[in-house]
Amino acid sequence: MSSTEQGTSSAAPAEPTTAPESAAAPEVPESFYYVHGKDKVVHKVSAGALQHSALIHGMISNLGYTEEQAKANPFPFENIDGDILQMVVDWCNQHKGKPTPPEDTNLPKQKEKLFDLVLAVNYLEIKELLTYCCKQVAMMVKGKSPEEIREIWMIPTDAEDEAAEKEAKKRAGKEAAGETAAAAGDAK
Amino acid sequence: MASDLENLTKEFECLSISHCRMLPNFKKVTRMIKGLSINPIYETNWCDMPAEIKLECIEKMELNERLSLRCTAKAERSLVDSQKIKFDSWNNFYGREEELNFVHGGDSNKYFCNELKDMDEAVKFVNYMKKIGVFEGLSFSLEHPLIDNEHFAGDDGLFTVKTVEFSYCNVDNMIAILRKIRSGVESIDIGLSCEISDELAEILEIPQIQDVPYWHIYSYTGTDCLHKVAQMWIDRNSKIGSTFQTLTNYYETITDSFEEFSDHFADRIVSKSEKRVRIRTNNPDCHILLELGVNEVVTIDFFIQFFRFMVISATMKESEYDDNCKKWICYIAPEMQVYTAGHNYTSTLNFEIFRKL
Repeated sequence: MSSTEQGTSSAAPAEPTTAPESAAAPEVPESFYYVHGKDKVVHKVSAGALQHSALIHGMISNLGYTEEQAKANPFPFENIDGDILQMVVDWCNQHKGKPTPPEDTNLPKQKEKLFDLVLAVNYLEIKELLTYCCKQVAMMVKGKSPEEIREIWMIPTDAEDEAAEKEAKKRAGKEAAGETAAAAGDAK
Repeated sequence: MASDLENLTKEFECLSISHCRMLPNFKKVTRMIKGLSINPIYETNWCDMPAEIKLECIEKMELNERLSLRCTAKAERSLVDSQKIKFDSWNNFYGREEELNFVHGGDSNKYFCNELKDMDEAVKFVNYMKKIGVFEGLSFSLEHPLIDNEHFAGDDGLFTVKTVEFSYCNVDNMIAILRKIRSGVESIDIGLSCEISDELAEILEIPQIQDVPYWHIYSYTGTDCLHKVAQMWIDRNSKIGSTFQTLTNYYETITDSFEEFSDHFADRIVSKSEKRVRIRTNNPDCHILLELGVNEVVTIDFFIQFFRFMVISATMKESEYDDNCKKWICYIAPEMQVYTAGHNYTSTLNFEIFRKL
Protein backbone atom coordinates (compact mmCIF):
# COMPACT_ATOMS: atom_id res chain seq x y z
CA MET A 1 0.00 0.00 0.00
CA SER A 2 1.50 3.27 -1.01
CA SER A 3 0.80 5.77 1.63
CA THR A 4 1.83 9.22 2.66
CA GLU A 5 1.98 9.71 6.35
CA GLN A 6 0.48 12.95 7.51
CA GLY A 7 -0.62 14.45 10.74
CA THR A 8 1.40 14.70 13.89
CA SER A 9 5.10 14.08 13.60
CA SER A 10 6.67 11.50 15.86
CA ALA A 11 5.11 8.28 17.00
CA ALA A 12 8.06 7.13 19.07
CA PRO A 13 7.54 6.96 22.79
CA ALA A 14 9.14 9.87 24.58
CA GLU A 15 12.59 9.25 26.03
CA PRO A 16 12.36 8.79 29.76
CA THR A 17 13.63 11.88 31.45
CA THR A 18 15.30 12.10 34.81
CA ALA A 19 12.39 12.89 37.02
CA PRO A 20 12.82 14.80 40.23
CA GLU A 21 12.54 12.61 43.26
CA SER A 22 9.30 14.12 44.42
CA ALA A 23 7.62 13.70 41.01
CA ALA A 24 4.67 11.39 40.56
CA ALA A 25 4.56 8.40 38.22
CA PRO A 26 6.16 9.00 34.78
CA GLU A 27 3.83 10.17 32.02
CA VAL A 28 2.41 7.43 29.83
CA PRO A 29 3.49 8.08 26.23
CA GLU A 30 0.61 9.02 23.98
CA SER A 31 -0.57 6.32 21.61
CA PHE A 32 -1.30 6.98 17.96
CA TYR A 33 -3.56 5.44 15.37
CA TYR A 34 -3.66 5.68 11.62
CA VAL A 35 -6.60 6.32 9.35
CA HIS A 36 -6.98 6.65 5.61
CA GLY A 37 -9.76 7.72 3.31
CA LYS A 38 -10.65 7.00 -0.29
CA ASP A 39 -7.31 8.39 -1.50
CA LYS A 40 -5.34 5.96 0.73
CA VAL A 41 -3.35 8.82 2.23
CA VAL A 42 -2.65 7.78 5.79
CA HIS A 43 -3.12 10.24 8.60
CA LYS A 44 -1.54 9.73 11.97
CA VAL A 45 -3.82 10.77 14.80
CA SER A 46 -3.31 10.61 18.52
CA ALA A 47 -5.74 8.66 20.67
CA GLY A 48 -6.48 11.95 22.43
CA ALA A 49 -7.58 13.61 19.21
CA LEU A 50 -9.61 10.57 18.22
CA GLN A 51 -11.60 10.86 21.41
CA HIS A 52 -13.74 13.38 19.54
CA SER A 53 -15.03 10.54 17.38
CA ALA A 54 -17.35 8.38 19.43
CA LEU A 55 -17.23 5.72 16.69
CA ILE A 56 -13.45 5.37 16.62
CA HIS A 57 -13.01 5.93 20.33
CA GLY A 58 -15.49 3.13 21.06
CA MET A 59 -13.65 0.78 18.75
CA ILE A 60 -10.10 1.47 19.85
CA SER A 61 -10.63 1.61 23.59
CA ASN A 62 -8.80 -1.31 25.22
CA LEU A 63 -7.50 -2.41 21.83
CA GLY A 64 -3.89 -2.33 23.04
CA TYR A 65 -2.22 -1.78 19.66
CA THR A 66 1.51 -1.37 19.58
CA GLU A 67 2.79 1.52 17.49
CA GLU A 68 3.88 -0.89 14.75
CA GLN A 69 0.60 -2.72 14.65
CA ALA A 70 -1.33 0.51 14.43
CA LYS A 71 0.91 1.82 11.67
CA ALA A 72 0.64 -1.37 9.67
CA ASN A 73 -3.12 -1.38 9.88
CA PRO A 74 -4.59 2.05 9.33
CA PHE A 75 -8.34 2.20 9.77
CA PRO A 76 -9.86 2.26 6.31
CA PHE A 77 -12.56 4.84 5.73
CA GLU A 78 -12.87 4.00 2.04
CA ASN A 79 -15.89 6.15 1.37
CA ILE A 80 -14.67 9.36 2.91
CA ASP A 81 -12.83 11.60 0.47
CA GLY A 82 -9.22 12.18 1.39
CA ASP A 83 -9.56 15.94 1.70
CA ILE A 84 -12.62 15.56 3.89
CA LEU A 85 -10.84 13.10 6.18
CA GLN A 86 -7.94 15.54 6.30
CA MET A 87 -10.31 18.27 7.50
CA VAL A 88 -11.70 15.96 10.16
CA VAL A 89 -8.24 14.93 11.35
CA ASP A 90 -7.10 18.56 11.44
CA TRP A 91 -10.13 19.53 13.47
CA CYS A 92 -9.63 16.67 15.92
CA ASN A 93 -5.96 17.60 16.33
CA GLN A 94 -6.74 21.29 16.80
CA HIS A 95 -9.34 20.59 19.45
CA LYS A 96 -7.53 17.80 21.24
CA GLY A 97 -8.09 18.11 24.96
CA LYS A 98 -9.53 21.60 24.60
CA PRO A 99 -13.03 22.83 25.30
CA THR A 100 -14.75 23.47 21.97
CA PRO A 101 -15.48 27.14 21.22
CA PRO A 102 -19.07 28.30 20.68
CA GLU A 103 -18.45 28.82 16.96
CA ASP A 104 -16.12 27.47 14.32
CA THR A 105 -15.50 29.72 11.38
CA ASN A 106 -13.03 27.45 9.57
CA LEU A 107 -15.58 25.17 7.99
CA PRO A 108 -15.82 24.93 4.21
CA LYS A 109 -18.13 27.41 2.54
CA GLN A 110 -18.45 25.32 -0.60
CA LYS A 111 -21.77 23.47 -0.52
CA GLU A 112 -20.67 20.01 -1.70
CA LYS A 113 -17.63 19.99 0.58
CA LEU A 114 -19.74 21.00 3.55
CA PHE A 115 -22.33 18.31 2.90
CA ASP A 116 -19.58 15.70 2.46
CA LEU A 117 -18.07 16.85 5.73
CA VAL A 118 -21.46 16.59 7.44
CA LEU A 119 -21.90 13.01 6.26
CA ALA A 120 -18.38 12.02 7.31
CA VAL A 121 -18.68 13.70 10.69
CA ASN A 122 -22.06 12.12 11.29
CA TYR A 123 -20.64 8.72 10.43
CA LEU A 124 -17.62 9.22 12.67
CA GLU A 125 -19.91 10.50 15.42
CA ILE A 126 -18.05 13.72 16.16
CA LYS A 127 -20.83 15.50 17.97
CA GLU A 128 -19.32 18.97 18.39
CA LEU A 129 -18.12 19.22 14.80
CA LEU A 130 -21.50 18.01 13.58
CA THR A 131 -23.15 20.82 15.51
CA TYR A 132 -20.88 23.39 13.85
CA CYS A 133 -21.47 21.87 10.43
CA CYS A 134 -25.24 21.86 10.83
CA LYS A 135 -25.12 25.47 11.92
CA GLN A 136 -23.09 26.28 8.83
CA VAL A 137 -25.61 24.45 6.64
CA ALA A 138 -28.43 26.44 8.24
CA MET A 139 -26.50 29.67 7.58
CA MET A 140 -26.37 28.86 3.87
CA VAL A 141 -30.06 29.67 3.53
CA LYS A 142 -30.28 32.58 5.93
CA GLY A 143 -32.69 35.16 4.57
CA LYS A 144 -33.44 33.09 1.45
CA SER A 145 -36.84 32.60 -0.16
CA PRO A 146 -38.28 29.13 -0.86
CA GLU A 147 -37.26 29.46 -4.52
CA GLU A 148 -33.73 30.45 -3.61
CA ILE A 149 -33.45 27.58 -1.12
CA ARG A 150 -34.72 25.14 -3.75
CA GLU A 151 -32.09 26.42 -6.14
CA ILE A 152 -29.20 26.42 -3.65
CA TRP A 153 -29.92 22.97 -2.31
CA MET A 154 -31.30 21.55 -5.56
CA ILE A 155 -34.54 20.47 -3.93
CA PRO A 156 -36.91 19.07 -6.56
CA THR A 157 -40.46 20.39 -6.66
CA ASP A 158 -43.29 18.03 -5.77
CA ALA A 159 -44.13 17.78 -9.49
CA GLU A 160 -40.53 16.85 -10.30
CA ASP A 161 -40.54 14.31 -7.48
CA GLU A 162 -43.75 12.73 -8.75
CA ALA A 163 -42.44 12.61 -12.33
CA ALA A 164 -39.21 10.97 -11.16
CA GLU A 165 -41.17 8.44 -9.13
CA LYS A 166 -43.39 7.61 -12.13
CA GLU A 167 -40.35 7.24 -14.33
CA ALA A 168 -38.68 4.92 -11.80
CA LYS A 169 -41.82 2.76 -11.58
CA LYS A 170 -42.06 2.63 -15.37
CA ARG A 171 -38.42 1.57 -15.63
CA ALA A 172 -38.83 -1.06 -12.93
CA GLY A 173 -41.91 -2.41 -14.73
CA LYS A 174 -40.03 -2.64 -18.03
CA GLU A 175 -37.10 -4.38 -16.37
CA ALA A 176 -39.43 -6.87 -14.69
CA ALA A 177 -41.19 -7.55 -18.00
CA GLY A 178 -37.81 -8.04 -19.72
CA GLU A 179 -36.72 -10.51 -17.06
CA THR A 180 -40.01 -12.46 -17.39
CA ALA A 181 -39.60 -12.63 -21.16
CA ALA A 182 -35.99 -13.77 -20.81
CA ALA A 183 -37.00 -16.44 -18.30
CA ALA A 184 -39.77 -17.65 -20.66
CA GLY A 185 -37.24 -17.78 -23.55
CA ASP A 186 -34.85 -19.81 -21.41
CA ALA A 187 -37.64 -22.23 -20.50
CA LYS A 188 -38.41 -22.84 -24.18
CA MET B 1 -3.91 -4.59 3.28
CA ALA B 2 -5.71 -7.91 3.62
CA SER B 3 -2.44 -9.81 3.75
CA ASP B 4 -1.11 -7.35 6.33
CA LEU B 5 -4.11 -8.08 8.40
CA GLU B 6 -3.69 -11.83 8.08
CA ASN B 7 0.00 -11.61 8.98
CA LEU B 8 -0.78 -9.50 11.97
CA THR B 9 -3.49 -11.89 13.04
CA LYS B 10 -1.00 -14.77 12.84
CA GLU B 11 1.46 -12.77 14.89
CA PHE B 12 -1.17 -12.15 17.46
CA GLU B 13 -1.92 -15.85 17.67
CA CYS B 14 1.63 -16.47 18.85
CA LEU B 15 1.29 -14.06 21.70
CA SER B 16 0.28 -14.74 25.25
CA ILE B 17 -3.27 -15.57 26.28
CA SER B 18 -3.82 -12.10 27.60
CA HIS B 19 -2.88 -10.62 24.24
CA CYS B 20 -5.02 -13.16 22.42
CA ARG B 21 -8.04 -11.58 24.01
CA MET B 22 -7.43 -8.61 21.73
CA LEU B 23 -7.74 -10.66 18.56
CA PRO B 24 -11.47 -10.51 18.08
CA ASN B 25 -11.37 -6.77 18.76
CA PHE B 26 -8.70 -6.19 16.20
CA LYS B 27 -10.47 -8.10 13.44
CA LYS B 28 -13.72 -6.57 14.44
CA VAL B 29 -12.51 -2.99 14.16
CA THR B 30 -11.45 -3.27 10.54
CA ARG B 31 -14.53 -5.29 9.67
CA MET B 32 -16.77 -2.83 11.44
CA ILE B 33 -15.27 0.13 9.66
CA LYS B 34 -15.60 -1.53 6.28
CA GLY B 35 -19.12 -2.67 7.02
CA LEU B 36 -20.24 0.67 8.35
CA SER B 37 -18.71 2.84 5.67
CA ILE B 38 -21.09 5.32 4.14
CA ASN B 39 -22.12 4.69 0.58
CA PRO B 40 -20.31 6.84 -1.95
CA ILE B 41 -22.32 9.91 -2.78
CA TYR B 42 -21.44 12.15 -5.64
CA GLU B 43 -22.42 15.80 -5.83
CA THR B 44 -23.68 15.58 -2.28
CA ASN B 45 -26.60 17.86 -1.64
CA TRP B 46 -29.38 18.56 0.84
CA CYS B 47 -31.54 15.77 -0.58
CA ASP B 48 -28.76 13.26 0.11
CA MET B 49 -28.70 14.05 3.80
CA PRO B 50 -30.32 11.58 6.18
CA ALA B 51 -33.45 12.88 7.88
CA GLU B 52 -31.78 13.08 11.30
CA ILE B 53 -29.07 15.38 9.93
CA LYS B 54 -31.63 17.53 8.14
CA LEU B 55 -33.51 17.86 11.42
CA GLU B 56 -30.36 18.91 13.21
CA CYS B 57 -29.80 21.61 10.57
CA ILE B 58 -33.44 22.70 10.76
CA GLU B 59 -33.06 23.03 14.51
CA LYS B 60 -30.35 25.61 13.90
CA MET B 61 -32.55 27.67 11.55
CA GLU B 62 -34.62 30.63 12.57
CA LEU B 63 -38.33 30.88 11.92
CA ASN B 64 -38.07 32.69 8.59
CA GLU B 65 -35.78 30.08 7.06
CA ARG B 66 -37.89 27.24 8.41
CA LEU B 67 -41.00 28.75 6.87
CA SER B 68 -39.18 29.14 3.56
CA LEU B 69 -37.84 25.60 3.63
CA ARG B 70 -41.25 24.12 4.35
CA CYS B 71 -42.56 25.82 1.21
CA THR B 72 -40.05 24.09 -1.07
CA ALA B 73 -41.57 20.59 -1.14
CA LYS B 74 -43.96 18.29 0.72
CA ALA B 75 -41.16 16.17 2.14
CA GLU B 76 -39.38 19.23 3.53
CA ARG B 77 -42.64 20.53 4.95
CA SER B 78 -43.28 17.40 6.97
CA LEU B 79 -39.70 17.42 8.24
CA VAL B 80 -39.85 21.08 9.29
CA ASP B 81 -43.23 20.55 10.94
CA SER B 82 -41.93 17.64 12.96
CA GLN B 83 -39.36 19.85 14.64
CA LYS B 84 -40.19 22.16 17.54
CA ILE B 85 -38.71 25.65 17.56
CA LYS B 86 -37.65 27.45 20.71
CA PHE B 87 -38.67 31.08 20.95
CA ASP B 88 -36.61 32.81 23.58
CA SER B 89 -37.18 36.41 24.67
CA TRP B 90 -40.43 38.15 23.80
CA ASN B 91 -43.02 37.06 21.30
CA ASN B 92 -46.21 38.87 20.53
CA PHE B 93 -49.41 38.18 18.65
CA TYR B 94 -51.30 41.38 18.04
CA GLY B 95 -54.23 42.12 15.83
CA ARG B 96 -56.81 44.72 15.04
CA GLU B 97 -59.89 44.51 12.88
CA GLU B 98 -58.70 42.64 9.83
CA GLU B 99 -55.12 41.71 10.41
CA LEU B 100 -52.94 39.73 12.73
CA ASN B 101 -49.23 40.11 13.36
CA PHE B 102 -46.70 37.93 15.01
CA VAL B 103 -43.47 39.52 16.17
CA HIS B 104 -40.59 37.85 17.91
CA GLY B 105 -37.09 38.84 18.78
CA GLY B 106 -34.55 36.59 17.14
CA ASP B 107 -30.80 36.50 17.54
CA SER B 108 -28.71 39.65 17.23
CA ASN B 109 -31.74 41.76 18.22
CA LYS B 110 -33.36 41.16 14.85
CA TYR B 111 -37.01 40.42 14.81
CA PHE B 112 -39.41 38.54 12.65
CA CYS B 113 -42.76 40.07 11.82
CA ASN B 114 -45.49 38.25 9.99
CA GLU B 115 -48.42 40.40 8.97
CA LEU B 116 -51.45 38.50 7.78
CA LYS B 117 -54.52 40.27 6.50
CA ASP B 118 -56.60 37.24 5.62
CA MET B 119 -58.04 36.05 8.94
CA ASP B 120 -58.28 32.40 7.97
CA GLU B 121 -54.63 32.45 6.96
CA ALA B 122 -53.76 34.32 10.14
CA VAL B 123 -55.51 31.80 12.35
CA LYS B 124 -53.87 28.93 10.49
CA PHE B 125 -50.57 30.61 11.26
CA VAL B 126 -51.48 30.89 14.95
CA ASN B 127 -52.36 27.18 14.94
CA TYR B 128 -49.07 26.39 13.24
CA MET B 129 -47.16 28.33 15.87
CA LYS B 130 -49.02 26.43 18.58
CA LYS B 131 -47.88 23.21 17.01
CA ILE B 132 -44.21 23.98 16.53
CA GLY B 133 -43.42 26.70 19.05
CA VAL B 134 -41.94 26.34 22.50
CA PHE B 135 -42.23 29.84 23.90
CA GLU B 136 -40.37 31.42 26.75
CA GLY B 137 -42.81 34.30 26.83
CA LEU B 138 -45.88 35.03 24.76
CA SER B 139 -48.06 38.08 24.77
CA PHE B 140 -51.43 38.58 23.13
CA SER B 141 -53.06 41.84 22.12
CA LEU B 142 -55.98 40.70 20.04
CA GLU B 143 -59.08 42.76 19.64
CA HIS B 144 -60.86 40.84 16.92
CA PRO B 145 -62.81 37.76 17.92
CA LEU B 146 -60.42 34.89 17.37
CA ILE B 147 -62.76 32.53 19.15
CA ASP B 148 -65.37 32.81 16.38
CA ASN B 149 -62.95 31.51 13.83
CA GLU B 150 -63.65 27.87 13.03
CA HIS B 151 -59.97 27.19 12.35
CA PHE B 152 -59.07 28.33 15.87
CA ALA B 153 -62.00 26.76 17.69
CA GLY B 154 -61.61 23.46 15.85
CA ASP B 155 -57.88 23.11 16.37
CA ASP B 156 -56.90 21.02 19.37
CA GLY B 157 -53.23 22.13 19.49
CA LEU B 158 -51.93 23.80 22.64
CA PHE B 159 -49.40 26.56 23.21
CA THR B 160 -46.27 25.43 25.05
CA VAL B 161 -45.25 28.50 26.99
CA LYS B 162 -43.72 29.56 30.29
CA THR B 163 -45.03 33.08 30.66
CA VAL B 164 -48.23 34.43 29.13
CA GLU B 165 -49.31 38.03 29.00
CA PHE B 166 -52.57 39.55 27.79
CA SER B 167 -52.89 43.24 27.13
CA TYR B 168 -55.62 45.10 25.29
CA CYS B 169 -57.18 41.76 24.65
CA ASN B 170 -60.76 40.92 23.90
CA VAL B 171 -61.85 38.92 26.96
CA ASP B 172 -63.42 36.14 24.89
CA ASN B 173 -60.14 35.76 23.01
CA MET B 174 -58.27 35.69 26.27
CA ILE B 175 -60.43 32.89 27.68
CA ALA B 176 -60.19 30.93 24.42
CA ILE B 177 -56.41 31.27 24.45
CA LEU B 178 -56.11 30.37 28.14
CA ARG B 179 -57.92 27.14 27.35
CA LYS B 180 -55.39 26.43 24.64
CA ILE B 181 -52.32 26.62 26.83
CA ARG B 182 -50.53 23.47 27.82
CA SER B 183 -50.31 22.84 31.56
CA GLY B 184 -46.99 23.78 33.07
CA VAL B 185 -47.26 27.51 32.42
CA GLU B 186 -45.40 29.34 35.17
CA SER B 187 -46.90 32.79 35.06
CA ILE B 188 -50.00 34.48 33.64
CA ASP B 189 -50.32 38.24 33.40
CA ILE B 190 -53.73 39.68 32.64
CA GLY B 191 -52.87 43.22 31.74
CA LEU B 192 -54.41 46.58 31.38
CA SER B 193 -57.60 46.95 29.35
CA CYS B 194 -58.56 43.33 29.76
CA GLU B 195 -61.78 44.00 31.62
CA ILE B 196 -62.68 40.69 33.18
CA SER B 197 -64.83 41.50 36.19
CA ASP B 198 -67.88 39.82 34.67
CA GLU B 199 -65.97 36.77 33.52
CA LEU B 200 -63.87 36.11 36.63
CA ALA B 201 -65.84 33.02 37.66
CA GLU B 202 -65.41 31.57 34.18
CA ILE B 203 -61.68 32.33 34.23
CA LEU B 204 -61.23 30.70 37.63
CA GLU B 205 -62.59 27.46 36.24
CA ILE B 206 -59.83 27.21 33.63
CA PRO B 207 -57.33 24.54 34.76
CA GLN B 208 -54.33 26.58 33.57
CA ILE B 209 -55.37 29.40 35.94
CA GLN B 210 -56.06 26.98 38.77
CA ASP B 211 -52.63 25.39 38.55
CA VAL B 212 -50.38 28.32 37.63
CA PRO B 213 -47.87 29.17 40.38
CA TYR B 214 -48.13 32.93 39.74
CA TRP B 215 -50.74 35.10 38.05
CA HIS B 216 -51.99 38.62 38.28
CA ILE B 217 -54.72 40.89 37.06
CA TYR B 218 -53.42 44.35 36.37
CA SER B 219 -56.63 46.11 37.20
CA TYR B 220 -59.83 44.77 38.66
CA THR B 221 -62.98 46.78 39.15
CA GLY B 222 -65.07 44.46 41.32
CA THR B 223 -64.75 43.80 45.03
CA ASP B 224 -65.20 40.06 44.77
CA CYS B 225 -61.85 39.23 43.18
CA LEU B 226 -59.92 38.55 46.38
CA HIS B 227 -62.29 36.11 47.99
CA LYS B 228 -63.07 34.31 44.72
CA VAL B 229 -59.41 33.57 44.07
CA ALA B 230 -58.93 32.49 47.68
CA GLN B 231 -61.97 30.23 47.49
CA MET B 232 -60.64 28.63 44.30
CA TRP B 233 -57.33 27.91 46.05
CA ILE B 234 -59.14 26.45 49.07
CA ASP B 235 -61.27 24.23 46.84
CA ARG B 236 -58.23 23.14 44.81
CA ASN B 237 -55.99 22.66 47.85
CA SER B 238 -53.40 24.72 45.98
CA LYS B 239 -49.71 24.31 46.66
CA ILE B 240 -47.72 26.46 49.06
CA GLY B 241 -46.19 29.28 47.05
CA SER B 242 -49.16 29.82 44.73
CA THR B 243 -49.35 33.57 44.30
CA PHE B 244 -51.87 36.02 42.92
CA GLN B 245 -51.58 39.80 42.68
CA THR B 246 -53.91 42.52 41.59
CA LEU B 247 -54.20 46.27 41.74
CA THR B 248 -57.15 48.55 41.60
CA ASN B 249 -57.72 52.27 41.30
CA TYR B 250 -61.46 52.19 41.68
CA TYR B 251 -62.46 53.93 44.88
CA GLU B 252 -65.14 51.45 45.81
CA THR B 253 -62.87 48.48 45.15
CA ILE B 254 -60.12 50.01 47.26
CA THR B 255 -62.30 50.64 50.22
CA ASP B 256 -64.34 47.46 50.07
CA SER B 257 -62.09 44.66 48.82
CA PHE B 258 -60.09 44.15 51.97
CA GLU B 259 -63.13 44.30 54.22
CA GLU B 260 -65.19 42.09 51.95
CA PHE B 261 -62.47 39.50 52.03
CA SER B 262 -62.34 39.59 55.84
CA ASP B 263 -66.10 39.34 56.11
CA HIS B 264 -66.31 36.51 53.61
CA PHE B 265 -63.82 34.41 55.51
CA ALA B 266 -64.67 35.63 59.02
CA ASP B 267 -64.82 32.07 60.34
CA ARG B 268 -61.41 31.22 58.88
CA ILE B 269 -59.39 34.21 60.07
CA VAL B 270 -56.20 33.31 61.87
CA SER B 271 -54.91 36.86 62.25
CA LYS B 272 -55.77 40.29 60.94
CA SER B 273 -53.99 43.65 60.88
CA GLU B 274 -54.24 46.88 58.92
CA LYS B 275 -52.43 45.41 55.95
CA ARG B 276 -52.69 41.64 56.35
CA VAL B 277 -55.33 38.98 56.73
CA ARG B 278 -54.38 35.36 57.26
CA ILE B 279 -56.95 32.63 56.87
CA ARG B 280 -57.12 28.87 57.28
CA THR B 281 -57.72 26.57 54.37
CA ASN B 282 -59.19 23.06 54.49
CA ASN B 283 -55.63 21.73 54.52
CA PRO B 284 -54.20 22.05 58.05
CA ASP B 285 -50.72 22.55 56.54
CA CYS B 286 -51.66 25.60 54.47
CA HIS B 287 -52.87 29.10 55.15
CA ILE B 288 -53.64 31.93 52.75
CA LEU B 289 -52.12 35.32 53.39
CA LEU B 290 -53.63 38.47 51.88
CA GLU B 291 -51.36 41.47 51.95
CA LEU B 292 -52.07 45.08 51.12
CA GLY B 293 -49.04 46.71 49.55
CA VAL B 294 -48.41 49.83 51.60
CA ASN B 295 -45.24 51.68 52.40
CA GLU B 296 -44.08 55.28 52.78
CA VAL B 297 -45.06 56.13 49.17
CA VAL B 298 -47.97 53.85 48.44
CA THR B 299 -49.89 54.72 51.59
CA ILE B 300 -53.22 53.39 52.72
CA ASP B 301 -54.84 56.49 51.10
CA PHE B 302 -53.01 56.15 47.80
CA PHE B 303 -55.41 56.16 44.86
CA ILE B 304 -54.12 52.82 43.64
CA GLN B 305 -53.97 49.83 45.92
CA PHE B 306 -51.95 46.68 45.44
CA PHE B 307 -52.96 43.28 46.79
CA ARG B 308 -50.98 40.09 47.01
CA PHE B 309 -52.21 36.64 47.91
CA MET B 310 -50.06 33.67 48.75
CA VAL B 311 -50.63 30.14 49.91
CA ILE B 312 -48.24 29.84 52.84
CA SER B 313 -47.23 27.15 55.28
CA ALA B 314 -49.44 27.03 58.37
CA THR B 315 -46.25 27.08 60.42
CA MET B 316 -45.00 30.38 58.95
CA LYS B 317 -44.41 32.92 61.71
CA GLU B 318 -45.49 36.55 61.49
CA SER B 319 -41.86 37.54 61.93
CA GLU B 320 -41.17 35.82 58.62
CA TYR B 321 -43.54 38.09 56.66
CA ASP B 322 -41.88 40.13 53.94
CA ASP B 323 -42.37 43.77 54.81
CA ASN B 324 -40.73 45.03 51.65
CA CYS B 325 -43.70 45.29 49.32
CA LYS B 326 -41.84 47.46 46.80
CA LYS B 327 -40.47 44.39 45.02
CA TRP B 328 -43.79 42.73 44.38
CA ILE B 329 -45.57 46.01 43.62
CA CYS B 330 -42.98 46.74 40.94
CA TYR B 331 -43.38 43.24 39.56
CA ILE B 332 -47.01 43.83 38.70
CA ALA B 333 -46.45 47.52 37.86
CA PRO B 334 -42.81 48.14 36.89
CA GLU B 335 -43.64 51.81 36.37
CA MET B 336 -44.02 52.14 40.13
CA GLN B 337 -40.25 51.84 40.42
CA VAL B 338 -40.01 55.59 39.83
CA TYR B 339 -42.64 56.45 42.38
CA THR B 340 -41.56 54.09 45.08
CA ALA B 341 -38.11 55.63 44.68
CA GLY B 342 -39.72 58.92 45.69
CA HIS B 343 -39.50 60.84 42.41
CA ASN B 344 -42.19 62.99 40.80
CA TYR B 345 -44.94 61.75 43.01
CA THR B 346 -48.21 63.53 42.36
CA SER B 347 -51.67 62.67 43.48
CA THR B 348 -53.10 63.73 40.11
CA LEU B 349 -51.14 61.07 38.29
CA ASN B 350 -52.87 59.87 35.15
CA PHE B 351 -53.59 56.18 35.41
CA GLU B 352 -52.50 55.75 31.78
CA ILE B 353 -48.88 56.20 32.76
CA PHE B 354 -49.06 52.76 34.30
CA ARG B 355 -49.72 51.25 30.94
CA LYS B 356 -47.42 48.31 30.48
CA LEU B 357 -45.06 48.71 27.57
